Amino acid sequence: MQRLQDTPAEAAFRQRLRAWLAANAPTAASGGVEALKAWQKKLYEAGWLGLNWPKEYGGQGASFREQVVYNEEVIRARTPAPINGIGLMIVGPTLIAVGSEEQKARYLAPILSAEEIWCQGFSEPNAGSDLAGLQTRAVSDGDDYIVTGQKIWTSNSRIADYIFLLARTDPDAPRHKGITALIVDTKTPGVTVKPLRQITGDAEFGEIFIDEARVPKANRIGEENDGWIVAMKTFTRERANISISTSVRLQQQCGNLIAAIEGRGVPADPQLRREVARAYLDSECLNLTCERMSEQLFGFESSMVKIVGSEVNQRLQELGLSTLGPDAALTPDGDFEKTWQFGFLRSRGNTIEGGTSEILRGIVAERILGLPRK
Amino acid sequence: MDFRLTEEQTLLRNSARDFLNREWPTTELRRMLDPEDAAAAADAFRSKIVELGWPGLLIAEEYEGLGLGHFDLAVLMEETGRRLTPGGMLAGGAPAAMALQRFGGEEAKQKYLPKIAEGEIRATLGVYQAGSGWTLMLLDPPADGAVTKRWVPDAAGADLILCANRTGGNAVELTAAANPEIADLRSLDVTRPLFEVSYGPGGAEKIGEGTVGDLQAVIDQAAIALAAEMVGAAAELLDLTVAYIKQRKQFGRSVATFQAVQHKAADMYIEIEKARTAVYYAAAAADEQPENLARAASMAKAAANAACVETAKKAIQLHGGIGFTWEQDMHLYLKRAKACEHTFGDTNWHLDRLAHGLGI
Repeated sequence: MQRLQDTPAEAAFRQRLRAWLAANAPTAASGGVEALKAWQKKLYEAGWLGLNWPKEYGGQGASFREQVVYNEEVIRARTPAPINGIGLMIVGPTLIAVGSEEQKARYLAPILSAEEIWCQGFSEPNAGSDLAGLQTRAVSDGDDYIVTGQKIWTSNSRIADYIFLLARTDPDAPRHKGITALIVDTKTPGVTVKPLRQITGDAEFGEIFIDEARVPKANRIGEENDGWIVAMKTFTRERANISISTSVRLQQQCGNLIAAIEGRGVPADPQLRREVARAYLDSECLNLTCERMSEQLFGFESSMVKIVGSEVNQRLQELGLSTLGPDAALTPDGDFEKTWQFGFLRSRGNTIEGGTSEILRGIVAERILGLPRK
Repeated sequence: MDFRLTEEQTLLRNSARDFLNREWPTTELRRMLDPEDAAAAADAFRSKIVELGWPGLLIAEEYEGLGLGHFDLAVLMEETGRRLTPGGMLAGGAPAAMALQRFGGEEAKQKYLPKIAEGEIRATLGVYQAGSGWTLMLLDPPADGAVTKRWVPDAAGADLILCANRTGGNAVELTAAANPEIADLRSLDVTRPLFEVSYGPGGAEKIGEGTVGDLQAVIDQAAIALAAEMVGAAAELLDLTVAYIKQRKQFGRSVATFQAVQHKAADMYIEIEKARTAVYYAAAAADEQPENLARAASMAKAAANAACVETAKKAIQLHGGIGFTWEQDMHLYLKRAKACEHTFGDTNWHLDRLAHGLGI
């Protein structure tokens, strides 16, 4: 049997996508929130988003393999990532899995078209790795909940229209059993978003302060007090999707790294060559592992690929920085986000966000290898 | 890409696992530790795998083999690796068969391949020389027709010892040694003895020719099969270690509940899955994409080296004192891992080749 070649259907899909991207991809200069929204809308209208979502909600009902081909081709074409990543990778799949029919009909299409941007309100100042310790309260009041609390490390919060929020509805229940998942409009009175500056100097994340915001019960995802189950489904998706997109981006970074070494015009020392080769090997292995384990990837195996992807990216970025020699100690001119210095700093967050490597190794040990917790 | 096993491959894996658990249990394996009994144990095992047709797995059906591919071989090697079977890669037959099929003239193929496939003769392949490392261009052409090959597996019991000699430039000849001198090199891994083979002028018959590139392709195919074996050994070690740490109690609780222990076990799993991926990819490339063979083989061998050696070291650590004893099997896996790491290219050799391929 043939294992490595595209099937005829995959090859046709690849060819069609490649031609479309060549004709439609935006230039590198066109940044900004509105331009990125427009780009995502264009992708959606051409039928390239929601590939593995059901057709009735605006998806394409495509195979996992076609999603992989899509990832490979958009990286190859170096197009910007869709701006509504949280909506596409986390909220949409969660709603498809556990949302009501009304919620699916109402929210899924605007997620795909970037007409509504989403963020994920899970972490709190005192509930990081120990998410079940979250303290944001949602108190029943007729047809509404009254929500009060604080969320932190929230990506895209500054541009978000909606928050996928976890709040405690039963403070007397065991920790994991009193949590509920809610959809919160960021324009609700009482909701305030503040930027949170990171070690890169950017404020990609934000903090959300919620003071007695009124949220309709119709915005509950799943049953009351079932939020932990919803969150667990979300996490495996988040980690799998982060890993798939990371693995493809890593291969691109490897190309950048090799180009950087060639650009220096001096032979690389043997140690650096080997470290680059190892980073290349690891990023290829990650990509191939995502394909090999595609059926398990939305289970606990997502933890493994997330560990590998984040750690390889950290090594790659640091290697890239080291190719600069003494200039590594400087802040370069121009777009900081495109520099190795930025990449190095940003990558330190990779082993923290979406589950720390320590938590994930625990998941691998307990959930895959079956080691006892106590 | 599609890495799922076919129905036939699943059957091959399951039947191999049952066979090996039955016919090569630890009691048989440990016979290899007794210098008086090792050869008899290995011979007994070999006669059993002949019945299953394993020595002919890669040999084409027209030469009485099973006519299977490198992916099939990898599936089987993962299982043999789990049990630390003796002999170099299905008792030396696989690399020799690969070389014969690549280099051999039709006459030599007719003469030897059916006999290897049917188990009538045992074959092995010698390639490297003192000073060559794993770099084939460093093989010295035979001076006055004298050839000495080192690190040859299974030479003591072999009926056919093939030698691949660089004769100058890129040219390689394949010879069948007539009555070579054979010296035991006292392998670190006693379950897999290695020998030095030498013959003088006129001591061998030339049976085929090719290039250094051909020989490297044979080595790459063999390295992929070896890497599959290493993944199997590592996977077995992880299973043994998980079972041990679950039942071992200290401070009144299972040591498997300690985070430092859990994270080591998690790292074993991660390295093994990465290496398994690289091996499957490389085996598929060996079957389908000869243009990717070198890169894929280096990925597989480098990944398997890391997975197998690190797993063996962590397995001993997690077994504690008992893992450091002769009575326990951990040291056999560690020695196998180390010996394999330095066969067909160590990690640095493969990383250097990958870097070269990347243009740096």
